[in-house]
Amino acid sequence: MTLTEFLSDRLRRLILQAVFVMAGTAFLHATGTQAGILLLLLLVWFFALIGTQAVDFLKCRSRLSELESIMDGLDEKYLFAECIPTPQNAYERRLLFLFKRAGRSMIGAVSDAQAANREYRAYVESWVHEIKTPITAAELICRRADKESGQKLSVELTQIKAHVERALFYARAESPEKDFLIRQISLSQLVDNAIDNHRSLLIQSGLRIETENLEQTVYTDEKWTVFILGQLLQNAARYRNEHPLITFSASQLGEQVQLTVSDNGIGIPAHELPRVFERGFTGSNGRSRGGSTGMGLYLCRRLAAHLELLIQISSEVEKGTQVTLTFPSRSNLTKS
Amino acid sequence: MPKIMIIEDDKTVRDELALLLKNEGYQPIAVTVFENILTQVSELNPDLILLDLGLPGRDGFSLCADFRRNFDIPIIFVTSRDSAYDELNALSTGGDDYITKPYHVPVLLARIRAVLRRSSKKTEPELPSVNGLTLNPTRGTASANGKNIELTRNELQILTCLMEHAGEVVSRTDLIESLWDNRIYIDDNTLSVNMTRLRAKLDGIGLPDFIKTRRGMGYQIIACYSRQGGIL
Repeated sequence: MTLTEFLSDRLRRLILQAVFVMAGTAFLHATGTQAGILLLLLLVWFFALIGTQAVDFLKCRSRLSELESIMDGLDEKYLFAECIPTPQNAYERRLLFLFKRAGRSMIGAVSDAQAANREYRAYVESWVHEIKTPITAAELICRRADKESGQKLSVELTQIKAHVERALFYARAESPEKDFLIRQISLSQLVDNAIDNHRSLLIQSGLRIETENLEQTVYTDEKWTVFILGQLLQNAARYRNEHPLITFSASQLGEQVQLTVSDNGIGIPAHELPRVFERGFTGSNGRSRGGSTGMGLYLCRRLAAHLELLIQISSEVEKGTQVTLTFPSRSNLTKS
Repeated sequence: MPKIMIIEDDKTVRDELALLLKNEGYQPIAVTVFENILTQVSELNPDLILLDLGLPGRDGFSLCADFRRNFDIPIIFVTSRDSAYDELNALSTGGDDYITKPYHVPVLLARIRAVLRRSSKKTEPELPSVNGLTLNPTRGTASANGKNIELTRNELQILTCLMEHAGEVVSRTDLIESLWDNRIYIDDNTLSVNMTRLRAKLDGIGLPDFIKTRRGMGYQIIACYSRQGGIL
């Protein structure tokens, strides 16, 4: 608390006091008290006032800074009321009691929301696993259907699978501790798995894929990274131009490994580029082609943050898009 | 004909998978009673087991551990559970491969082929030879009429695929799938370019019409003799 704040709080009281003292002095002067005695009284009054106000100010300031440091030390700020030290006077006690009531109702609401969120996540996960069996059955039946409708159905099934997978990873990104496992794995295995997962989409889109330098190994979670690469492949297939080509290339950057995924697709306008990782952002490409969810890259960024994976994007309209993943070095991972 | 046992509790998936495997030239055995699976395995003696994790009664992991103790049969887990923990557990209990549902059918078939190839005790496969053309996959060459040509990775794979199905029409899609199986990710145009170059090379060693184009269907090597040397 600053002095100005303190004074402005007490301004009215001080002015009132001064007015009373003036009136008293005038009265005493009129009833014949000597000017010397009046001056003495005024001085005593003045120093007593300054003294008590100064003590008040210092007490007030130290109390506030004590409370502030308690708040700063708290991870969950809403638990503040539970940590306030013993109240110093009746007024503080009443205030604290109000704080505590507000805090308790907040704690209740937060833990209810957390429980609901956990339950919902568990439900989404089990639902995703349940839905996979009928999708598998449909996929197998598709192989027997006549060629034209089989192919059409297979495209639709691919879409369904992509949506289901995003739902699963959305739930996972919320509380990631449970299923992420950092292991040593080769880049080529990650890339091949991602390509396998989206093979029918890629072949149907007439994509060609080239790989360079993928012999290096990185430390990451396989499933999550494959999911991220899968989103990039889906984007490349969706926003393709003529003769689509995707290139996966890796390079060593000190102790880190960088994987660059570049395509020769329609690209992203410069003014939209900073927003592509935002949740639900679809951009002009997404709007003109339809069916864009605005979730793919958002999830990539969230999952990448958990994996300590740096994800960067650059693009030029009608030239293509490049996404670079920088994998953390082993020593960095063990530190954290 | 390799026998493949399907241990899967969803009836539709089980039946369709059995049908698919049958069409692919395997002999599927669909398990419908999930008790005494061990006895069933020892009686039927399959060459490969496709094992689901979420079975009624027993967990796939403990089943797999039992199989490992008693038999020497490769096992592929096919499951919708896909956490890192499940996969690690599957491979550490002795599974040979782990595929998550929903799978892309050609990928499943490729994995089955790969596991069967690894487990079959065949040594040094003989060099495939059709109509006088002999392929040497390890050297990346083909020879006919005493002349030798060098093939690129793509050309080698195209030729291998066509020769494995000598006599049959192989569609462009099937060719592309087979190339993707082998980590060669090409598109339709590149396939055409590769095909033209391959034909020119074959022309050079006196086999001008080795690969026939079947309009609207695909490609075909009209074989007089199959790989094994028998008349088709």
